[in-house]
Amino acid sequence: MKKKIISLFLAGTMVTGMLAVNANAADAVDLELFSTKSENVSTLQGLIDKFTEANPGVTITITAPSDAGTVLKTRLTKNDIPDIIACGGDATYTELQSAGVLEDLSGEDYLSSIQDAYWQMLYDVNKEKEETAYGVPYATNASGILYNKDIFEQAGVEVPETWTELQSVVDTLEAAGIQPFELTFKDNWTCLPPWNSMAPVIPAANFTDERKAGNTTFVGTHEEILEKYAYLLEHAQKDYMGTTYSDGNKLFAEGNAAMMINGNWAIPEFLNSNADMNVDMFAFPSTDDASKNTITSGIDVLLAVSSQSDDAKKAAAKEFISFMIDAENAQQYIDEQFAFSAVIGVEQTNETVASAQAAISEGKVSNFPDHYYPSGFDLASILSEFALNVTNGMDLEENIQSTLATCDEQYDVANVE
Amino acid sequence: MKRKKINIAFYIITIPMAVLFFMFHTFPFLQGIFYSFTDWKGYGNWNFVGLRNYLQIFKDPNVIKSYLFTFKFAFFATILVNIFSLMLACGLNSKIKGKNLLRAVYFLPYMLGVLIIGYVFNFIFANLVPMVGEFLNIEALKVNILGTKHAWIGVLIVTIWQSLAFNTLIYISGLQTVDRDLYEAADLDGAIGLKRFFKITFPLIAPFFTINMVLCVKGFLMAFDQFMAMTGGGPGTSTTTISLLIYKKGFQGAQFAYQSANAVLLFIVVVTISIFQLKVLEGREEKVN
Repeated sequence: MKKKIISLFLAGTMVTGMLAVNANAADAVDLELFSTKSENVSTLQGLIDKFTEANPGVTITITAPSDAGTVLKTRLTKNDIPDIIACGGDATYTELQSAGVLEDLSGEDYLSSIQDAYWQMLYDVNKEKEETAYGVPYATNASGILYNKDIFEQAGVEVPETWTELQSVVDTLEAAGIQPFELTFKDNWTCLPPWNSMAPVIPAANFTDERKAGNTTFVGTHEEILEKYAYLLEHAQKDYMGTTYSDGNKLFAEGNAAMMINGNWAIPEFLNSNADMNVDMFAFPSTDDASKNTITSGIDVLLAVSSQSDDAKKAAAKEFISFMIDAENAQQYIDEQFAFSAVIGVEQTNETVASAQAAISEGKVSNFPDHYYPSGFDLASILSEFALNVTNGMDLEENIQSTLATCDEQYDVANVE
Repeated sequence: MKRKKINIAFYIITIPMAVLFFMFHTFPFLQGIFYSFTDWKGYGNWNFVGLRNYLQIFKDPNVIKSYLFTFKFAFFATILVNIFSLMLACGLNSKIKGKNLLRAVYFLPYMLGVLIIGYVFNFIFANLVPMVGEFLNIEALKVNILGTKHAWIGVLIVTIWQSLAFNTLIYISGLQTVDRDLYEAADLDGAIGLKRFFKITFPLIAPFFTINMVLCVKGFLMAFDQFMAMTGGGPGTSTTTISLLIYKKGFQGAQFAYQSANAVLLFIVVVTISIFQLKVLEGREEKVN
């Protein structure tokens, strides 16, 4: 009787064992490309096909799991590093870089074709801020104020370059019965873009480093940001707390508001609901000094090579990166992905982001400040709470002080190594 | 004494399930308890830190706030669900026309996933309700309730609507165990209407009341899906339940070990409350019988 039970178990384990299929190619160089961005898989696959056609000895397989950051960190602990990594210039990259598993790419001849502003951003997220290229900035994004060109023209207003000009644009629009801003705070990550636009410009430039070291606080440095933030809320639609990102995009595309504060990634959504929309993006006019205001642009995708792979794989991986940076291929990537390129001379020609591209080409960019905050610091919820307090009619001064105090408190909780 | 031969089929039925249950439920649970004494981030190296995580919980304003919120939510949800489902069960157990159709209608929400219901109600609260508010000119209805400080009431309404089905079902089966003769006797003695309900019906279905109360409290203290689908814990952190906090901070905020400790604490709280409820309510049952 017992034997029967045991054999039943064995049969069960054998079935599960069969699921682990082993595929091993003998001669060819077999690379794994790990992408943390599931949206770009089809574009990457297209470029890979082109690459492997020219290099028949190489095969590249894409891995792009959901919750990729965690998967990558888990694989890091098992020292199972993918040969090529395509990730954002964020905490995930810092983790890999500080673990020493990324190949130093200094000396590769294609590095000079990348814009300096993005090298600086990459160095800033290196653990010790060392100026070493452990990855190559590839595609970038941009966040600022998206505006409906037709509405601006109809109301007779120009793109504002300073905070005062923005206020007069808002006044003119309101006088004409046009709603200035559409905000979508039901999805609380959309509370971040206005902060991300102002935070690199308004407080002192070294704030993020000083805050990390504990030498300064949000209280006393970020009041102006929240005052301006409250101004935006005052001039948004009534139910901004209850509007979702997708509903708001649709309303904005249909011309219900003149401006929306978000990034280039929202544009395909607008065009989905209204293909004829005339939309463009300008830098958020955080201050009255037009030369200080910047587009917020971060490294959306950087390419890195594992230092743990064998030499043949490393060589093939570097070859692939060089192929990707080639102007024609970089152009194909940003055209399909609606992104911007870190490669000099490769510009997003789509006119829906013409002003943003102009600002980027001039180098008027700053990185997303939340790339420098600890990953457990949930700023979006804090800002959503701030906005909720505004709708509840809380005294603004009190609201600002308590919100910034919460920022400091939550930052310290999250800032543990 | 000779033992009776036991059919092997019973082993085949029970043992694989026991093994699977241990592998996918008990083992991860024990692992969670283990990690709650470490500083594991969900990846990388870890060290034992003793009770540090547990002590930190009581000082963490996020955790305290979400416990208070969860208790408030569970309290209102449990009471309202039980009142409404008992009323529904009495109605559906009577000899009304279209009884079976109505039962099916009330049971429908239970067959739909909470996430699906959440997304449907997201749409209703965001678009349909404000439209009605605009039409009737009622200020409070003109905005999406999920974006206000009353967001939890929106979720509460949906939760009640969804949970009614199963509780009503249990109450109906309870009501069917009540002997019809008793009602006739009660009629003769002049106990009718509410009096009959409180003196005869309710005491007789007491065990079903106990089950429902315990299941409700347990379920609502661990509420997760409906908040995930409808508010994501917002606006701000005003609707973050304990389960949602554990999920958010544990998986996205690299606090795996710390939130494991929080999960263990939640487990202890739920078990304690359930045992307490059972003791009190079963005591009441005995008194009645």
